[in-house]
Amino acid sequence: VRTVTLPLIAVLLVALVLGVQVAAGGGDYVPRASADPCVARRIPPLPARLEPVAERIVLLGLDGAACRLGISRERLVLSLADRRSLAPDAGAALKAGLRDAVDRLDREHRLPKVSQLVPEALEESDLPGIVKTVVGAIPDSTIDSTLPTAPLLRRAVGELDVDELLDQLADPDQIESAIRAAILRAARDEILDRLRP
Amino acid sequence: VRQSRTGVIATLSLTVAVVLGDSGIVTLALPEMLRDFGAEVGQVAWVLIAFNLVLALVAVPAARACLRGDPAMATAGGVAAFAAATIVCAVAPSLAVLVAARAAQAVGGALVIVGSLELLVEATGAEREGVRRWAAAGVAGAALGPVLGGLLTSAFSWRSIFVVQIPVVLVALPAAMAMRGRVVRRAEELDVSPDRPYVLANVALALLSAALTAALFLLVLLIVEGWRRSPAVAAVAVTAVPVAALAAGPLFRRVRGGTRSEAFAGSVLIAGGLTGLALLPGAALAWTVAPQLLVGLGLGLSVDSLTAAALRDRIPRALHGGWTIAARHAGVVAGLAILTPIFTADLRHAERPAKEAVASLVLDAPLPASAKLELADGLGRQLVAERGRVPDVRPAFAAVRLPAPQAAAAATLEHDLEDQLRRAATRAFRTAFLVAAALALLALVPAVALREGRS
Repeated sequence: VRTVTLPLIAVLLVALVLGVQVAAGGGDYVPRASADPCVARRIPPLPARLEPVAERIVLLGLDGAACRLGISRERLVLSLADRRSLAPDAGAALKAGLRDAVDRLDREHRLPKVSQLVPEALEESDLPGIVKTVVGAIPDSTIDSTLPTAPLLRRAVGELDVDELLDQLADPDQIESAIRAAILRAARDEILDRLRP
Repeated sequence: VRQSRTGVIATLSLTVAVVLGDSGIVTLALPEMLRDFGAEVGQVAWVLIAFNLVLALVAVPAARACLRGDPAMATAGGVAAFAAATIVCAVAPSLAVLVAARAAQAVGGALVIVGSLELLVEATGAEREGVRRWAAAGVAGAALGPVLGGLLTSAFSWRSIFVVQIPVVLVALPAAMAMRGRVVRRAEELDVSPDRPYVLANVALALLSAALTAALFLLVLLIVEGWRRSPAVAAVAVTAVPVAALAAGPLFRRVRGGTRSEAFAGSVLIAGGLTGLALLPGAALAWTVAPQLLVGLGLGLSVDSLTAAALRDRIPRALHGGWTIAARHAGVVAGLAILTPIFTADLRHAERPAKEAVASLVLDAPLPASAKLELADGLGRQLVAERGRVPDVRPAFAAVRLPAPQAAAAATLEHDLEDQLRRAATRAFRTAFLVAAALALLALVPAVALREGRS
């Protein structure tokens, strides 16, 4: 009996400690795994402001691009910081992903109307005061019929030079001005297209 | 006479503990040495490896040298050499000098350890009692070394580890000299060829030492490098091992299970404790306590029992004592050689999932895009600055100024990022701990084949 007592105590003590640890999640204490970018992510409520809408389009666009490239969204983002590890077709995948993102938000009626975004856009713009007053006086219904959000954003995505944007990743101000320019160009072209007979 | 014998026994036991404690005493000082000398991790690891490797290589030759003369003189010579080398360690101007001095420390230390075995048996007047004290001192030293090293490094500097040892060891000089001419060799020790070393007990000792290296070395690295806790906190946290090791004897020896039973139970406890460290459910220090207690109980139960078995009825005693020291420290070196590449490779591989988890949290955080970009930039810079170590995310957050509601979200994000990094680091050590547990389980093979003997 004496010879088996100590091994028995040892086995019981080990079983007790390991049992408690496994019950407390000992085997699962690992970093969170990246979500499958091809599975549609739940979209939180979108406030009708420029930055959250733009951010959501970018996040969904990253998912779409990552899905096309067969990698996780996070891996794609980390590759953006180190262009050498970026797939050669990443620029095209990003552009397609952004288009898909606009399509999904449009399909799910999550895009705000342009008239809802105009006051904030005017406030942040460096347009002359008189122009701001004139634009502000345009009725919302006119703005929304002339500039529907989804076509405007699709056109803006088309205007974006993704490779140039990737080169400017270290400078958020330059990215912002490039996006602003693309949206303005898209808005102008959209209006001109609609005014053409 | 009795009182002076008590003093001699205490002094020699303390010296054996200090010398064997040197095996792992620098573990917690390695990061500071790394910074001081501007060296690579692989180079600084030699401060640890050199001592154990040389001790493994010279323990048996030192025992043979000890047998040719008076063990008291061998011990005194060893103390002098160890103290001189320790002084050089304390003032070492370069890593090369420190590594060389550590090797010299091991040469002196080998003489101290094998000589002290003979002197302790003589001073206690009973072979079994002398061997028991010698083995127990070794276990206490090995278990307490990293703790004391960590506390001294935190309170002063890594150099203080060596400064403190010098007077403690020098006290053994008069104790050894007092034993001059007292060890009388038995006729059979002088005339008969030496017994063959007890291979099973020594192999079990080597395997358990390799596993125990993991328990202390890996756990300390996990706490300091992985969880970014201070060496002082790590030192306090790993006290559970020596406490349990010292408690194992009084707790379990009453059972009188015998050498095989104690070695078997000890191996199971060490393997179980290491598996527990591989399956931590969180990065709270409290989670490491129970596995450490298992490791400590296993250490206290098996190592001195196996040492006693390796020495029992074998002559000459000093030579077999030398074999146990050689086996233990060869085990430490083998443990480092096997486990270091495993966990360094796993740490490298952990980098990507950790970065992806961090990227995922930052992307989905309820913060403005501009704040996220700023944070990502800061985190990237921090990652580069830490050169592959687990990064400290706090400077990146401190650099971003946010209004109150967003500051709360940023604080939550900071907490979540730290959690993800701790998860990645903890996961990176899992394989190494499991391999170490396997080494302890391997010790069961020689343990079950041991000849029985009551301890």
